[in-house]
Amino acid sequence: MHKPPQFTIHYFAAASTYTTKNTELLPAPLRLADLFPELERMYPGIREKVLISCAVSLNGGYVDQNEAGDSGLGDEGGVVIGDGDEVAIIPPVSSG
Amino acid sequence: MTTQEPPISLPAHLDPKTYPRTTHDAAKNIHLTLTYTPLDANTYLSQTSSPAAGANVLFLGTTRDTFEGRSVSQLSYTTYPPLALKTLTEIAEAAVEKHQLLGVSIAHRMGTVPIGEASIAIAVSWRAGEEILEACKERAEIWKREEFLDGGMEWRANADRDAEGKLKNSAAS
Repeated sequence: MHKPPQFTIHYFAAASTYTTKNTELLPAPLRLADLFPELERMYPGIREKVLISCAVSLNGGYVDQNEAGDSGLGDEGGVVIGDGDEVAIIPPVSSG
Repeated sequence: MTTQEPPISLPAHLDPKTYPRTTHDAAKNIHLTLTYTPLDANTYLSQTSSPAAGANVLFLGTTRDTFEGRSVSQLSYTTYPPLALKTLTEIAEAAVEKHQLLGVSIAHRMGTVPIGEASIAIAVSWRAGEEILEACKERAEIWKREEFLDGGMEWRANADRDAEGKLKNSAAS
């Protein structure tokens, strides 16, 4: 039995409160451009209330949602979240 | 068998047992700490203090009891170390570059921080601090009077003395 391909997603601050989770596994692959729509499907309302002000990191580096590859040309191109990847939803920060 | 595993939903970056998370750049004398234990100011001061620097400075950010009029009972911090340590490194490197620091230490406390305790400690070793101190001693309109146990007192003039406070042996005095 092989593990199904999946990636880890971490939620912080308001994203953690909204999902009531710190982390979970989601099926891979997933286009980065499809991440927020997928989260909106799972957690209705999260896009407007939380994600709109969030950044996203992939394997320890920020990725730009606006350059996620959604050029309107179908599912070709753009960043794809793969098996074993680690994604984090980063709300506005508040250290200090 | 006997060890108690954390709930499977608790990822390592939220597990206090995986802390402190630290980085140290020896070349730039940068120390970064993310910790769930109270911040000890001396630890971070001693990481950066240099006899070559005139100013070894500590900033402690403490938690406040109100936010926009609402009373706060305590604060709680979480972090994502892979990104946080990267960002703190950028901040520290920029500060070293901009202010010619001989060292910088940034420590942030995680978890519950009671009101009045430090959530962040920043220690810097700063050569320019000495220049500012010297300029103050030379020009600022502040006077020091030494008052002695025997009842005597004398006003001091910094112009008469060098940086170590020793009397200058100049013709003008």
